[in-house]
Amino acid sequence: MSIGVIAEPVRVRIIRRRRWGAWLLGAAVLLVLAIIVVAGARARIIDPDVFFHYLTSGEVLLGARNAILVGTVSMAVAVVVGLAAALMRLSGNPILTGVAAAYVYFFRGTPMLIQILFWYNAFPTMFPRLHLALPFGGPVLVDAAMPAVVTPFIAAVAGLGLAEGAYMSEIIRGGILAVDRGQQAAARALGMTRPQMYGRVVLPQAARIIVPATGNQYIMLLKSTSLASVIGFLELLRITQGIYSANFRVVELLAVAAFWYLVMTAVVTAIQTALERWFPVR
Amino acid sequence: MNATSEIQRQDAIRVEGLRKVFSGFQALKDISFHVRGGEVIALLGPSGSGKSTLLRCINHLEEIDGGRIWVNGELIGYEEHGAVLRQMSDAAVSAQRRAIGMVFQGFNLFRHMTALQNIMSGPVYVLKAPRAAAEEKARRLLAKVGLADKADSYPAQLSGGQQQRVAIARAIAMDPKVILFDEPTSALDPELSQEVVATIKTLAEEGQTMLIATHEMAIAKGCADRVLFMVSGELVEDVPAAEFFAAPRHERSRQFLAMHG
Ligand SMILES: Nc1ncnc2c1ncn2[C@@H]1O[C@H](COP(=O)(O)OP(=O)(O)O)[C@@H](O)[C@H]1O
Ligand SMILES: [Mg+2]
Repeated sequence: MSIGVIAEPVRVRIIRRRRWGAWLLGAAVLLVLAIIVVAGARARIIDPDVFFHYLTSGEVLLGARNAILVGTVSMAVAVVVGLAAALMRLSGNPILTGVAAAYVYFFRGTPMLIQILFWYNAFPTMFPRLHLALPFGGPVLVDAAMPAVVTPFIAAVAGLGLAEGAYMSEIIRGGILAVDRGQQAAARALGMTRPQMYGRVVLPQAARIIVPATGNQYIMLLKSTSLASVIGFLELLRITQGIYSANFRVVELLAVAAFWYLVMTAVVTAIQTALERWFPVR
Repeated sequence: MNATSEIQRQDAIRVEGLRKVFSGFQALKDISFHVRGGEVIALLGPSGSGKSTLLRCINHLEEIDGGRIWVNGELIGYEEHGAVLRQMSDAAVSAQRRAIGMVFQGFNLFRHMTALQNIMSGPVYVLKAPRAAAEEKARRLLAKVGLADKADSYPAQLSGGQQQRVAIARAIAMDPKVILFDEPTSALDPELSQEVVATIKTLAEEGQTMLIATHEMAIAKGCADRVLFMVSGELVEDVPAAEFFAAPRHERSRQFLAMHG
């Protein structure tokens, strides 16, 4: 071969390996789904008229609204309490660390249902009057009978929010620990105070880890609002149960409840996606 | 005012009898030295000899167990009440750190901020400077370290040498009285470390006071006025740089020079 002659490139055709296994599996899954849907339709499981009638009835919408309200307020409580507990746990102060660890242990370690029952039934008998006054003979801020203060709504928010706060504290702590320690040293060396270091450097980076897990928790919490039915709170599941115990349209009404929970989940998922864009991977 | 405090005032850094103990292990043993304004000091010594710990004590990232440190005549981290040293509040120590820049071996750029935002972060968040002025200054400093076109790059998009030059710009954006460097080139391969050495040389020529822990002989020979040599938490040499390289006194200094050329 002589130098200077460049060989003509050979035209080649690329044939990719066929993924037969994936295609077969996909077909099998579609087949099973089709069988279920057809069987359901044949058996007339759901009467569409009944379903759509209750889907937007006033009672059901009230229940959905209450679920969103309690779930969202509880989540806000959980984020604030969880952030405080996480920062206490990481403060290096043994007392704050111990208190935060004990809080997480008790509130994560007992069922949410027990906590809701506690706040509604036990707490007001333990402390019959709520009396808040400024110290040293200052003016009285609140003075009321505890059962009047602890409504089902308040008890539900206390039970769900404080239990969820324990989970959130571990999620937030994990997010903070995942941020390289060198980031903190750099922030401190620039002259940032601890609050500035957390606010400007650590939490914006921890958010990347905290946000997806928080979306998950928010969805779980919205569905856990159904637990508040035990203290007579008018949430979605209790209302639909009330209706079907009178008219026996169990499947339609459970489907109505499921539909609204799915709508809530879709909205939270959209919020989570937006927040993840706000805190991208760098 | 007595004579010693007059001398202290002239020193950019003054360290007296500094001791640091990590759970029973004495990392710094009775260290004393001073750095005059405009001086460049190379802090040399084998790994584990306490160089990083010394630098971290100077800006109070580590709490000291004995001795005193002044930067620009200000006692760092403590208020002196007669024979008692009372540790300052977090806010007061943070305020003292504004005058002390620090550059790390691992760069430690804020990963969620662009190069420009990193450089602006100190002036804007700590000094509360107006944004427009801070941005103008940050762009000037980026140009100075040769990275004018990287303003909007995130740290992950920059090479190690570029990240370290941004980190140096971030430190000088605070107009610090002194800058502490903790092995600024140790994480870089030889080619990239030359960019950083050149940037440090420029600062030395401008009269910036610097204390540089390093294994890079180009910095120690090319920029340093004096060499501090540490072994196992002790300061064993404090001599003019030329003297250190021509006639090292300590046995460990000779070994060190034989190894690092
Ligand atoms: N946070 C710490 N806890 C315990 N020991 C430490 C800590 N930091 C440093 N040391 C020890 O102090 C000594 C000096 O470390 P360092 O200052 O990092 O040395 P150099 O920077 O010279 O390599 C080493 O023996 C190291 O193991
Ligand atoms: Mg070191």
